Amino acid sequence: MEFDHGRCSVSPGSSRSVSVSRRSFLAGSAALVALGVTGCASASQASGGGVALRFYEQKQEVIAYFDELLRRFEKSRPGITVVHDSTVAIAPQFVRNEPADVGCFNDNLELARYIKRGVLGDLSDLPSARTVRTDIGELTDQYATYPGRTSVLPYSLAAAGVIYNKKIFAKHQLPVPETWSQFVDVCDELTKAGITPVYATDRDTWTLWQGLFDYSVGSLVAPGEFFHRMKELGADVGPDSEVSFEKDFAVPMERAKTISSYFNKDHAVRAYADGNLAFGKGEAAMYLQGPWALSQIALVDPGLEIGTFPLPVSENPDERQARVNIDLGLWIPTASRRQDEARELVEFLMQPEIINAYNNDNLAYSTLTDAPAQEDERLAGLQDYVDRAAFYQGAGTFVPTSIPLGNYLQSAIRSGNFEGMLRQLDADWRRLAGRGATV
Amino acid sequence: MSGTTLYQKRRHTGARRGVEPLYYLFLVPTLLVFTAFVVVPALIGIFYSLTDYVRFGDWSFLGLSNYAALFSDPRILESYGFTLGFAVVTVVVAQVIALALAVALSRRIRFATTLRTVFVIPMVVSGIVVAYVFNFLFSNSLPAIATAVGFGPLEESILGNPDLAWLSIVIVSAWQTIPGALLVYTAGLTSIPTDLYEASALDGASPWRQFRSITVPLVAGFILINTILGVKGYLGVYDVIVGLTGGGPGTATSSVAMTIFGGFTGGDYAYQMANATVFLVVTALISVAQIVATRGRAVQL
Repeated sequence: MEFDHGRCSVSPGSSRSVSVSRRSFLAGSAALVALGVTGCASASQASGGGVALRFYEQKQEVIAYFDELLRRFEKSRPGITVVHDSTVAIAPQFVRNEPADVGCFNDNLELARYIKRGVLGDLSDLPSARTVRTDIGELTDQYATYPGRTSVLPYSLAAAGVIYNKKIFAKHQLPVPETWSQFVDVCDELTKAGITPVYATDRDTWTLWQGLFDYSVGSLVAPGEFFHRMKELGADVGPDSEVSFEKDFAVPMERAKTISSYFNKDHAVRAYADGNLAFGKGEAAMYLQGPWALSQIALVDPGLEIGTFPLPVSENPDERQARVNIDLGLWIPTASRRQDEARELVEFLMQPEIINAYNNDNLAYSTLTDAPAQEDERLAGLQDYVDRAAFYQGAGTFVPTSIPLGNYLQSAIRSGNFEGMLRQLDADWRRLAGRGATV
Repeated sequence: MSGTTLYQKRRHTGARRGVEPLYYLFLVPTLLVFTAFVVVPALIGIFYSLTDYVRFGDWSFLGLSNYAALFSDPRILESYGFTLGFAVVTVVVAQVIALALAVALSRRIRFATTLRTVFVIPMVVSGIVVAYVFNFLFSNSLPAIATAVGFGPLEESILGNPDLAWLSIVIVSAWQTIPGALLVYTAGLTSIPTDLYEASALDGASPWRQFRSITVPLVAGFILINTILGVKGYLGVYDVIVGLTGGGPGTATSSVAMTIFGGFTGGDYAYQMANATVFLVVTALISVAQIVATRGRAVQL
């Protein structure tokens, strides 16, 4: 998976000379910032005209929200207009070498490719970079780093756990489980009462790794560390290696297997939308989904009383952790020809009142130190974990999409053969690492 | 390549008579477009299959290692097995049904014209839409009916069963492609002179005998063309699978086209380019083999 074997024997002709000039341009703009002129119009642009920036943000639910922020930016900073690019696919603009001036994107393995290949510039010298919580900033390094750069400024942190129906829990006098055995007890009680304990939607395979897999692993094996060592081992991963899926994920997958026995009967053919509908109608007590599902569930029943708790997978309540992901991070491509203005826009968006308001309004957590608590009651159960940094990024997010983890889970749930799935994952990992062509 | 050889023969004889040079001029735009939009992109793709390119940034030359990895990747091999098996089964199912329908509709039965129109409708509906509709039927209606009549094996949706899910894809693909084949067969059947049937009827031939000895030999060329087009289409199966199973359960119904497309989103660009190159060769070989194997029959026409 690592990409540092003898490379670059051939290089596409044109891009080399371009990249040099780009780099010097970046150095120049970095120097400007270092002089303390961030946020001020540089002399060259002050003469008027007007600069058009392109801002890339494609998260469907908040496109209108960002549109409004951009209009506010334009008002506060005459002379700059911002075009909102909401194309779904991120790759084409980089393929054409015309990336947006500022990007705002999910920090995942996909963005990691851009970080690793050095096409995102350094933001560490921005004043706002110092206001980001370091324990959140470190999360992005788990996927990829570029030497000497802070390529991404985390903007929005999403936290996920087990979504539960408070009414059903109250009706059957069930406590929020704090240990694994309590969780199993709760499930048994619900089954006895004729209620589906956990609603699962196998047909959308992402829901399987995002919920079942990630929650089962996260509090038992720290994914960031585990995958760091897996990457170092690369093609040497196997039953006898220091870490492996087969060894380290054995207990977590026992948990997953048990949880899957409490699924709704028709889980194999249900899709994400079915799940939101069923949970919204109160047909199940628990749902392994993130905050993104809450707005969908609210469409079914806006008054449904919902809470969230991190899935306990051990007998020690202190080991519980929440699954988080950097839902949005800001970055500036080195290829942007408007570095100064792009930095102004980033600084604008990173102002505490703007970033905190955004996250509060969109069921997420601000990444700044001293950010106010998320006020939504449905997420209140996770606040403490976010504050204490008792969180992990889902194990499934570290698995490249060339390994169809969701599909493997689908068949493992069906057959009950989770050990076979883990061996398969190890084999795929080895093959991928030996291939060299995949990042 | 019987078609080509036939054409070549004609061209040779024509050339002796002297063909208008203008005809060659007509070929130029097509050749240019074909080169620019088919040949060149294919060659670029094949070149990148020898590298670790991810469509941006630096890359290095890997030689044939992508191909070596490809042939030892069980998931890739499985996808080829599934796709080939699926294409064979579907083409047989679809052609048999289409021919039967065409024969039935060529008789003077009531409402033949109306029925013909109805049967063609599936062809004009987009594959992904059809797949989603059938998805609903397979996930909800069919299990509900099976439960109501107490038929055990179907009480659980076949989409969730790794041993049966492929059947759903066969059914929907056949359902969708039968109308096209039906039209071709209808055209073929109307081209058979009716006096052949009348003469054989006088000789006391049964309808089955007529079908075997007159209809089948005389529509053989149409069967060939339908089979070739069908197999070619089924090998590239994608939208129906996305709408029905998404390649699952597990990886039981992942077609080659799906694995190739996964490379575009998963940072596996060069590797899947290698896969695409192999697939191109396999598809071409199958088409050639089909034509060669059936050459004798086609030429008889």
